[in-house]
Amino acid sequence: MSNESTYKRLSAAIIAGDKDKLLAAVEDALREGVTASEIIERGMSPGMKEVGERFARYEIYLPEMMMAAEAWEQAMKVLEPKLLAAGAERKKVGRVVIGTVKGDIHSIGKNIVAAMLKMSGFEVFDLGVEVAASAFVMKAEEVGADILAASALMSTTTPQQKEIIEHLKARGVRDKYCVLVGGGSTSQEWANSIGADGYGRTAGDAVALALKAVS
Amino acid sequence: MLSFSTVVERALNGPICSERDFELEVFVPNLRKVIEKYGIKYEPQNPVPADNDLADRVWAAAMEFLCETGVYCLDTERLILFTRDEIEGALETGPRGVVFGEGKDARVIPRRWPEDKTPPFCSGGGGGCLVSSEWIYLNLVKAYAEDHLSDGITTPSLTNVDGQQIIAGSPLGVEGAIRSLILTREALRRAGRPGMPIVNVIATGVKCQEHIAAQRFGTPATDHIEVGTVHEMKVDFDSLNKVAYSLAVGSLIFAENGVILGGLSGGPAGTAVVTAAYNPVDLLILRGAVQHPFPTHFELLTSSRDAIWARNVATQAVTRHSPLPVVNLGYTLAGPMTKMGFYEFSAWVIGAVVSGSSIEIVSQAKGVALDHCSSAEPIFINRVAHAVAGMSRKEANKIVVALLEKYEGQLRNPPTGQRYQECYDMATGKPNKELIELYREVRQEMTDQFGLRFQHASPYL
Repeated sequence: MSNESTYKRLSAAIIAGDKDKLLAAVEDALREGVTASEIIERGMSPGMKEVGERFARYEIYLPEMMMAAEAWEQAMKVLEPKLLAAGAERKKVGRVVIGTVKGDIHSIGKNIVAAMLKMSGFEVFDLGVEVAASAFVMKAEEVGADILAASALMSTTTPQQKEIIEHLKARGVRDKYCVLVGGGSTSQEWANSIGADGYGRTAGDAVALALKAVS
Repeated sequence: MLSFSTVVERALNGPICSERDFELEVFVPNLRKVIEKYGIKYEPQNPVPADNDLADRVWAAAMEFLCETGVYCLDTERLILFTRDEIEGALETGPRGVVFGEGKDARVIPRRWPEDKTPPFCSGGGGGCLVSSEWIYLNLVKAYAEDHLSDGITTPSLTNVDGQQIIAGSPLGVEGAIRSLILTREALRRAGRPGMPIVNVIATGVKCQEHIAAQRFGTPATDHIEVGTVHEMKVDFDSLNKVAYSLAVGSLIFAENGVILGGLSGGPAGTAVVTAAYNPVDLLILRGAVQHPFPTHFELLTSSRDAIWARNVATQAVTRHSPLPVVNLGYTLAGPMTKMGFYEFSAWVIGAVVSGSSIEIVSQAKGVALDHCSSAEPIFINRVAHAVAGMSRKEANKIVVALLEKYEGQLRNPPTGQRYQECYDMATGKPNKELIELYREVRQEMTDQFGLRFQHASPYL
């Protein structure tokens, strides 16, 4: 099997979100002498790029994104030690702490953004829903995050986004982080009014802002 | 029908499952399987399908999916499972002919079928619109209640209490919810319709304690509580607590399901199946007197072509098989004082009404822009809904396709329109000349282009 067909197989497994097929393809590729770096850059990454593009065209949706991201993470557990051994540690684009704010249980939008961030190479720490402002800040401090991303769907839960910024200020660490806000009841005006660093109307906007923040 | 206490028992003792496994190992594969098995395919050219076989296949897929998947309880991390017999038993014994409101303002929300001539129940009033002042709140609700075609009220969302921003779960949330109910009741009194049913008691309130506190200041037996499921096929204790309270005080429940197109349900086919599958869930778990669906595209909300298709297919599936009345609700991306806003509301409402549903008109401008709310569009839509009752689905499809062609190009960049303060007289609460002219222009267009005959005069237009 040529390397090109190996790369296609890896890419296809990512697009299908099939972690078993991806792990098998990774094992076969390694056996054939393809390096971990080549597997990632020429096989898996193009697959992830294709997933993102299909999502932007509304051809695939959240489940496919989540499955592709999960398959990627499983494969990376095999590949990262190989990268380290070869002295070629894969650099994360950045670290993001993400969650839906306290009082709000809506997770879909946040999950879409989290999946897209993972696909774009970010290390994502997803705190789930109903996350207290202090929990965002503590996690960011713990993992050395670059970005805090807070989602709020309800008009009565958006004030919790402001709380995160207040907590950052109270700890004297506001300037360490880029704070991005989004969700059904938020807007650019709202983001401006609370002093957030960015507002993502769509998941794609959020990723573009995150990439800009770490560039 | 299974008792609510049995449902709670299952929530507490059902099979343990992680949320991730429920989503990716249970929900998604089960949904994909039934979509393929029953051959459910999105048809963009037919946003209002006239295919009974498709509707029946969606229903069959939905019931199979529900039996195999169950509902996930977030607080206990357990599955609430139902057998097919239990589901069918709920459908056979669910509520029928329930009266909403009281006195001369009382209404029955009818069970309707596709192409049914029975007039739909029309609810509105700025549901979920963000309003900055109690005066705007009062005027909006009053104007809507003054329309004789308005059957129920869904309330706007107050953003502050005496200048302090309302925060869910805080004392301000409780006070905001109480104040909303008192303001709504006062607006209905001013409109001369004190017994009008309040469909969504407290859009301002989110948490269970806020709903309960507000109802203490209203009429529990006739003011309804909206209780929602969580995306997708999930419930939490907060929702179940609202149900427990409503059952104890005899309050009616609007069981709300906003399936996210693009979320776990995937595309339009999955969204339709899951929306239909919620119907028995609304009976068994939420103890609803009405199913209140709003399939919502994750970026384009409720007026995109695929969301309209999913809504109409699911509505037809449900109305052909379940006695639980359906009241669809929807938003607009465009704000007040824009033609696009009129078109968006018209497109989803026409499809929903001919598919067998009643309607609830809620937020404009995505429910995000402060004070971007108006009573003119909902009042117009009441007339559209009545004008298309009894229309064939094929005829409605032609109209909806034409409407979509008018606004689809603007979905990603909709006009925000004007604030209430800009298009209404703040003292009288009546629309200004420009809004009245826009109303008349769109009404004429709908008659000239689509042959819609509006038989009901509006209060002031």
